[in-house]
Amino acid sequence: MRSLLLYTLLYTIVMELMLVAAVLYWPDFEQNVDALRLLAPIKSVKDIVQEIEQEGVIPYITSQQFFKGGNTLGTAAAVLFAVGAVAGEAHRGTLELLLARPYSRLRILSERWLFGAVCCCLPVFLTSATIPWMGSWIDEDFDIVPLMLCSVHESLFLLAVYGAAFFCSTIGSNPTRIALVLLFVSTFQFAIYFIEVVTKWSLYRLADLKDFTKIYEDYALDWTVCGPLVAAIVLSFTASYLAFRRRLP
Amino acid sequence: MLARSGQIRVEGLTRRFRGPQGGVVAVQPFDLTVGPGGVTGILGPNGSGKSTLLRMILGLVPPGAGATSVDGMPLTGDGLTIRERVAYAPGELAVYGELTGKAHLRWLTAGRRRGTLARAIELADELGLPLRRRVRGYSHGMKRQLLLAAALAPQVPVRILDEPTEGLDPSKRAQIVDLLARDAARGTTILLSSHHLGEVDRVCDRILFMRAGRLIDEEEARSLFRRARRVTRLTLAQPADATTIEHLEGLGAEEVSSDGPRLRFVLPEATHRATLAAILADESLPAPQALSFGDASLEEIYRTLYGSEGI
Repeated sequence: MRSLLLYTLLYTIVMELMLVAAVLYWPDFEQNVDALRLLAPIKSVKDIVQEIEQEGVIPYITSQQFFKGGNTLGTAAAVLFAVGAVAGEAHRGTLELLLARPYSRLRILSERWLFGAVCCCLPVFLTSATIPWMGSWIDEDFDIVPLMLCSVHESLFLLAVYGAAFFCSTIGSNPTRIALVLLFVSTFQFAIYFIEVVTKWSLYRLADLKDFTKIYEDYALDWTVCGPLVAAIVLSFTASYLAFRRRLP
Repeated sequence: MLARSGQIRVEGLTRRFRGPQGGVVAVQPFDLTVGPGGVTGILGPNGSGKSTLLRMILGLVPPGAGATSVDGMPLTGDGLTIRERVAYAPGELAVYGELTGKAHLRWLTAGRRRGTLARAIELADELGLPLRRRVRGYSHGMKRQLLLAAALAPQVPVRILDEPTEGLDPSKRAQIVDLLARDAARGTTILLSSHHLGEVDRVCDRILFMRAGRLIDEEEARSLFRRARRVTRLTLAQPADATTIEHLEGLGAEEVSSDGPRLRFVLPEATHRATLAAILADESLPAPQALSFGDASLEEIYRTLYGSEGI
């Protein structure tokens, strides 16, 4: 648990540093956005730059914080925080100690799930909350409410990834192998986001720049995307519990 | 029948694990009642199903068939009702190395009644454990004692201890055996598995033998134990020859075997004192150099019970 807290602190610091760099780069980006759009090698990136060109700093900052920071660093953190929950205990041989305590398996699993989930999502909210303050460095105003709604959307996406990784942890015993496989899958998914013909198959479409821009427009979550994410989270937790209930020490 | 406090009942418990060539039966169906009170030891070679049986009683391994109960509370669901009544020390020595001894005891005793941690710390101090040190710096024996301190602290009617003295030096082993005897004197039911015949003999008032997931007849095991107590080893000043062996048999010794000057024989049950006195007093035998009595090893008993395989 203590090591998880340290990793969470590290994850928060790296996200914040990435955000600081992005905010400080905004004036240069704004000045050269025309050239950057022309230089964009693939259509998906071109679309992002075009949206920033039209809408200004909001899509820029949401793409930096949520699409870039959250979807890359957050996904890696979600996988790494989840795999140790049960498989890590089995790997180090402490699963029997954990299961022998006078707690129900549902409680043991829920505590682990919740702790990891908080570690996974809290940095997204904390770093997003600093954006309005950083806005003063570049003479821009950021409304906190849509930023928090974007954080909720991003967190639901990360929790869906976390839930899948957590399920793998409840059925496996080698956390390193599970993490490598899942990180390979997530990298593959991120890669196909940028390939036009298959981009619709990328899971990163569920936390797309368009979703965050829409939140700014509507001042509300888009439940056509968030609903399935919530369902995936509930389903993965249920599957994890069913597997954990039969788990041998 | 109403179960009394600290009674473990096992009825037709079975567990089969998947193996490379189909199913491997870890525990065959058998019935067993342990307690209330007393110390019961389970002995058996590796893979005989001892740990699986203990884990099934706790609900850590779901039984394939059959039922277990503690104090009349049946094992249902994930076995929480059982684990609330039973403290357990696992045989596997896996610990959280990053925690200090005290933090580890706090973690191990979480969910128990108030005062459990204080008792665990008291026991750990009695065993001389450095609780401020991180557990990763503990020796094998110290880790074992830490787990035992946590398992002996809760005020529960039943304790299940898997190999509680494995890896401990003889003085620590004796200290643990004393702690178990004190605990049993307070009325706690203790069920343990062990490989140390001496400690089992000293602390257990009932001994069960398991082989290939089956419980061996208790009467047969008792008679083997009685016989083990009559095994004698005598070292003579000169190597023993056939005449010496015949002479010993003439004095009443049974199953005499020799290895140079070292002799091993079993004294007859009814006249063991007189026979031993006669052997020692017989001046026609070479002078005795060393004598040990009643210390048949567990391996010897296993060999008698199970043959040479599976020891």
